[in-house]
Amino acid sequence: MVILLPFLLLLPLPLLLLLLLYFIVRPRPVRIPIKNRHVFITGGSSGIGLALAHRAASQGARVSLLARSLKKLEEAKESIRLSSGSDVSIFSADVRDYDVVEKAIRDAGPIDVLVVNQGVFVPRELEKQGLDEVKFMLDVNLMGSFNVIKAALPLMKQRIDRLPASIALISSQAGQVGIYGYTAYSASKFGLRGLAEALQQEVIADDIHVSVVFPPDTDTPGFEKETEVRPELTNILAGSSSSMTADNVAKKALDGIQSGSFIVPCNFDGHMLAIATAGLSPQRSFWMAFIEVSFAGVLRLVALFFQWNWYRCIEHWHAKKKDT
Amino acid sequence: MLIFIILAPIFLLLLYFIVQPQAVSIPIKGRHVFITGGSSGIGLALAHKAISEGARVSLLARSLSKLEEAKKSLHLAYGVDVGIFAADVRDYDAVKRAIVEAGPIDVLVVNQGIFVPQELEKQDMDEVKLMIEVNLVGSFNVIKSALPLMKGRKDSRPASIALMSSQAGQVGIYGYSAYSASKFGLRGLAEALQQELISDDIHISVIYPPDTETPGLEEERKIRPKMTEMIAGSGSVLKAEEVAKKTLDGIKSGSFSISFRMEGQMLTIATAGASPQRSFLIAFFEVLFAGISRIVTLLFLSNVYRSITKSHAI
Repeated sequence: MVILLPFLLLLPLPLLLLLLLYFIVRPRPVRIPIKNRHVFITGGSSGIGLALAHRAASQGARVSLLARSLKKLEEAKESIRLSSGSDVSIFSADVRDYDVVEKAIRDAGPIDVLVVNQGVFVPRELEKQGLDEVKFMLDVNLMGSFNVIKAALPLMKQRIDRLPASIALISSQAGQVGIYGYTAYSASKFGLRGLAEALQQEVIADDIHVSVVFPPDTDTPGFEKETEVRPELTNILAGSSSSMTADNVAKKALDGIQSGSFIVPCNFDGHMLAIATAGLSPQRSFWMAFIEVSFAGVLRLVALFFQWNWYRCIEHWHAKKKDT
Repeated sequence: MLIFIILAPIFLLLLYFIVQPQAVSIPIKGRHVFITGGSSGIGLALAHKAISEGARVSLLARSLSKLEEAKKSLHLAYGVDVGIFAADVRDYDAVKRAIVEAGPIDVLVVNQGIFVPQELEKQDMDEVKLMIEVNLVGSFNVIKSALPLMKGRKDSRPASIALMSSQAGQVGIYGYSAYSASKFGLRGLAEALQQELISDDIHISVIYPPDTETPGLEEERKIRPKMTEMIAGSGSVLKAEEVAKKTLDGIKSGSFSISFRMEGQMLTIATAGASPQRSFLIAFFEVLFAGISRIVTLLFLSNVYRSITKSHAI
């Protein structure tokens, strides 16, 4: 009995923590409807963007797609019409060109759910990578996202329908941890999170809710190209996390957006990574907050194990190279 | 209680074996320290400190006149000559020329930075572009220019690349969307870069100062949105000398993350994420305090969002 006493005394602690978190978590949870609302997706002609478009359309949303290639946009439009009978608007623009993006967004009409999903990724050691490729990733993934959000903000703030709106940024697990070969890509994706944390504070008063989605390697045309040029070591290290289909990522993303979650992980590894890297991101669910607090320590330990593993791999790989 | 006393040393031992990369010591004396944004603020304070520890210093900045003033003041203080190079970090070719002229670098301090706080809705896209290009792309230009010579250095001692981030690179705050984006980006770059350069004995440090007394800060505070000041204005403002000292100490011990004072340490523990930790002792504290620091973080955010709601209700 005496042995149990300390444990009995500890029992109320988690409950007290749960209660504390229930009262303090801000911003509060929110529900963002998709049906009959305008969902605008950049990079929407293929990969995760297209999968998102299919999902949103099948849930009754009015969808607009922005991408560079008019041809791919038209194919996407056709495939969505075939699968869900819904008509999507398409806009051809390069996100690096603010004026063209602004015009497209104005033509599309007030946006309820903005999905900033365009992205390019060329993995390479910084020493070997051309700076034009670095600039490309930073311009499209980060600066392009600023262009899109900036262009959409005024109309989003003035929307007539007084339901909660959403700005969702598609990041990557490479935006939670930097990996060999991903200096520029990780820089651009980490940047999205800094943008998102600040932006949420700026737009919360307008009932606009920011989500950052962190997919793992996803089966898309972009990914296929990427694996062809990926450094061997990157392949070895990135293999620590499992890959997903674009449709599964789209499902998780849309669920996360609709529940107004700030951080949206897509698989189990992603959840663990999200808890480890929770940092100063807002958490609206007191339950998730409880999990984050409870497992923060364990997951930091797990993260340290991962780094131990990765650095040992790197060491062995270099040692092998020296021998040959 | 007993269980904890028994487990703790076992835990410490475990951490001792797993922390990677391993601890390292990076000497400064007699080595070449190259500082971008070195003509004022933290960069200049770092130059002072490095020279006082016997390093050979080079400064890169845009304004030749500011560089010459810096050079003179350093010469007066220490009787030592620093190399000065006028270049805009956005211009890769100019940066490359300067770095090649300066000679092989042992400690590269990528410190240039611009910060213009404003709500994204109100901010000019030119200002956003400026921050991303100077703070982030500029850093890529500098590192890329310096890498070949750093990798090929004759001196077989460990070298360092230190990136000046900011507490705004650990948490995004109202008014800092572009600045935080650029500074968060530096961390992604750093985590990946460390994995790429560990085999060349080059060690990355990311520095997270709070508001520091510099000419830059004065300018920034004039235009800071009220809400930003409410949220971020309550932290301590450090002197550039204090930041420089702690920075150099951190670089010398090869720490991946360098932070300042209690608040800074808490912020770093909260945002440790998946970053490497080379000190098993600090790793111990990170794991131990991870949970509590998430609670503190949530309390802080609760406060922030309440303030925002209240100020809009007015």
